[in-house]
Amino acid sequence: MTRTRSTCAAALAALATLVPFASHADWKPTKPVEFIVHTGPGGGNDLLARAVVTMLEQEKLVPVRMQVINKPGGGGAVAAAAVADRKDDPNTVGFITSVWLAGPLTAKEQKITVFDLKPIAQLLREPAVFAVRADSPYKTLKDFVEAAKAHPGQLKQSGGSITSRDNIVREQLEHATGAKWAYVSFPGGGERLAALLGGHVDIMVIEPQEAGENVRAGKLRVLAQVSETRLPKWADIPTLKEAGYDIHPTPQIRGVVGPPEMPAEAVKYWIETFDKLHRSASWKKYVEQNELEDAFVSGDAFRKSMEQTSKELREQFVKAGIKVTR
Amino acid sequence: MDILTGLMHGFQVATTPLSLGMCMLGVVLGTVIGVLPGLGPPATIAMLLPLTMKLDPTGAMIMLAGIYYGAKYGGSTTSILLNVPGESSSVVTCIDGYQMARKGRAGPALGMAAIASFIAGTFGVVALMLVAPALAQVSLAFSSPEYFALMVMGLAMVVLLAGDSLVKALLSMLVGLWISGIGSDLFTATSRFTFGSVQLLGGIEFILVAIGVFAVGEVLANIEPQDPPKMLPVPKGIRNLLPTWDDMKRCRFAFVNGSVVGFIIGVLPGAGATIASFISYGIEKAVSRHPEEFGKGAIEGVAAPEGSNNAETGGALVPLLTLGIPGSGTTAILLAALTLWGFKPGPLFIHDQPQLFWGLVASMYIGNVVLLILNLPLVALFAQLLRVPAYVLQPLILGVSIVGVYAADASMFQLGLLALFGLVGYAMRKLDFPTAPLVLGLVLGDPMERALRQSLMMSQGHLSILLRPIPATLLVFAALLLAVPLFRKVNAIRVQVLEREEA
Repeated sequence: MTRTRSTCAAALAALATLVPFASHADWKPTKPVEFIVHTGPGGGNDLLARAVVTMLEQEKLVPVRMQVINKPGGGGAVAAAAVADRKDDPNTVGFITSVWLAGPLTAKEQKITVFDLKPIAQLLREPAVFAVRADSPYKTLKDFVEAAKAHPGQLKQSGGSITSRDNIVREQLEHATGAKWAYVSFPGGGERLAALLGGHVDIMVIEPQEAGENVRAGKLRVLAQVSETRLPKWADIPTLKEAGYDIHPTPQIRGVVGPPEMPAEAVKYWIETFDKLHRSASWKKYVEQNELEDAFVSGDAFRKSMEQTSKELREQFVKAGIKVTR
Repeated sequence: MDILTGLMHGFQVATTPLSLGMCMLGVVLGTVIGVLPGLGPPATIAMLLPLTMKLDPTGAMIMLAGIYYGAKYGGSTTSILLNVPGESSSVVTCIDGYQMARKGRAGPALGMAAIASFIAGTFGVVALMLVAPALAQVSLAFSSPEYFALMVMGLAMVVLLAGDSLVKALLSMLVGLWISGIGSDLFTATSRFTFGSVQLLGGIEFILVAIGVFAVGEVLANIEPQDPPKMLPVPKGIRNLLPTWDDMKRCRFAFVNGSVVGFIIGVLPGAGATIASFISYGIEKAVSRHPEEFGKGAIEGVAAPEGSNNAETGGALVPLLTLGIPGSGTTAILLAALTLWGFKPGPLFIHDQPQLFWGLVASMYIGNVVLLILNLPLVALFAQLLRVPAYVLQPLILGVSIVGVYAADASMFQLGLLALFGLVGYAMRKLDFPTAPLVLGLVLGDPMERALRQSLMMSQGHLSILLRPIPATLLVFAALLLAVPLFRKVNAIRVQVLEREEA
């Protein structure tokens, strides 16, 4: 079966070279494909890649076996180097997140950045919401900001590393309002939520899917959403702008890239494949279940958007007093 | 009554042929990956996740959980036989387990690991069933200051892991703390001791260091010519393959200790099975009437950590199923699996999905029994490994170590580090430095530093935050632990004086 398929593909590829302006993909993978992720098993990107494998199989979009390879370490640096090492391999795809953009800005060890790789497509934007405990005195984001102003440095927010979106939103909000509150970093999302639920911190920027069940159980209250438009499931929660704060935090994205010299026809194949994936029913269900935002952008437009994001992040880091190394 | 009906219902779910089959499959798979160093539950569950999409979620969850706790059973095997930890939570088992094997007691060590795992594992399930929702609330009181004090208490155990010289043990621990500081700093994103290397940005894996200093260092020390290779004594007869009644009596406290400590630490999202195993080992040695036997093959030194890493499983499921909070890599994947299947783990999960919760609980009772039945006969099989002569065994240990480290992320750099830490382990043996404190420092260094800095961020720099009741109590315990050798010394002098008076 696979052999017939691969001979077919080879024949198609041969045919395609004869027909220069073929509209369909000229190349198809004939070897097992490897998806490189920068987290260990169970990390956000690992789980996304494995879900993508399942969906690509369900939708029969890729004719070969796909495998997820974990290259953890250095906030994406090790994985970026691993993708770069594959040089012109058309069967390797790297899964990137905003971490891959933020990392090189603060660690000069990261010699290979996402811009050395071939952009394929941006897949997702990850929305977030500001949440407090349900018994907290803050009913709106304004309540919280005013309280922070009245008691500078006393209120606390739990979040990820200081280069994460959680902290950037805080910095921007502080800048816009003159309020000051403390930021406590936790490496795991579970610990951040536990600190909020246990009353050790006052507020948190949390993924909507993570907050949802706690809101339903009456443990958390959502004050505002960190997105440009209201998310369908949170239609009664104001965006930051609607809450009175005209700030536009750099969105947190996930996407896919190829090795530096990935052949053009392979890039085209992958763009088309992910385009088909993002139109599929499985993908829509996945996006809805995990409360993500579908944000398909491919090729050069993807590169431009990453360049813009990187520039914005750098400015925000400098403003926040984070040491940038490039 | 509610619990009883729930459990009855759970057993109905868990004893269907499909559920039983999935449970067996999970625990067998778990045992296998537990035995293999390098391949752990997170990687295995992640690989199987796409397959589970086609299964009934309850059966799939029963299987994935089986892998999780089954691996804890298998993890001790290579620790005891080869001094190569099979899982990070079995690192501390090497200390006494391997010494027991060297004395021809590999059988009782392996048997005790299985029995302790069964007792504590079952305790963990009982506790999960009885107190999950209430305990989850209590666990939220635990935050950074509490974690910091817990880690300090763990570090204070260095006095228990010290050999003849406390100074050497402390030095060894400090090196471990230093190694744990290598990498990218969470709070400022600055690089520490990376020497411009991308690979060091992510820090050094503690399991790699443990395999290096324990296993590779041991192999290097064993191949020295002045120590002619001799066969390890081979146990004969079934009687010598299993723990004796005396062994069981000696381990009475270890069973309780492992069960309780493992479960409590498991419930805390910021600690884990590895820390639980170290702490229960320390407690065991601290209260032991013959602490001098620890490190030389004390069976309690196997029972306590192996018990606690199994009780931890039940504990870790508490925040996962009652709050939707994962405390480790494995529980994070289980959370993702639940989400993928369309469930919403959170405070209402048990209420909304009684079938899944109670089915899982019941399956864990069954799974632990299956694991005990599965592992005891394996003891006889594995103990035969000791018949292998040293010139085969030593290269085998080296091979297992290398494959184990390489399997994790296929990196040559990591193998270089393994060689380096093998040499470090060898040098430490030659210079009579204890290796366990180094690993202890490495395990606790990072979470301890993090917890202290988080505490100070919370309190705006006031150390008084550490005087809250729980951390204060734990810190007093730590101080008492540090005083243990002092008491022992005073007691030894007192005994001497008494003896002299009598004479």
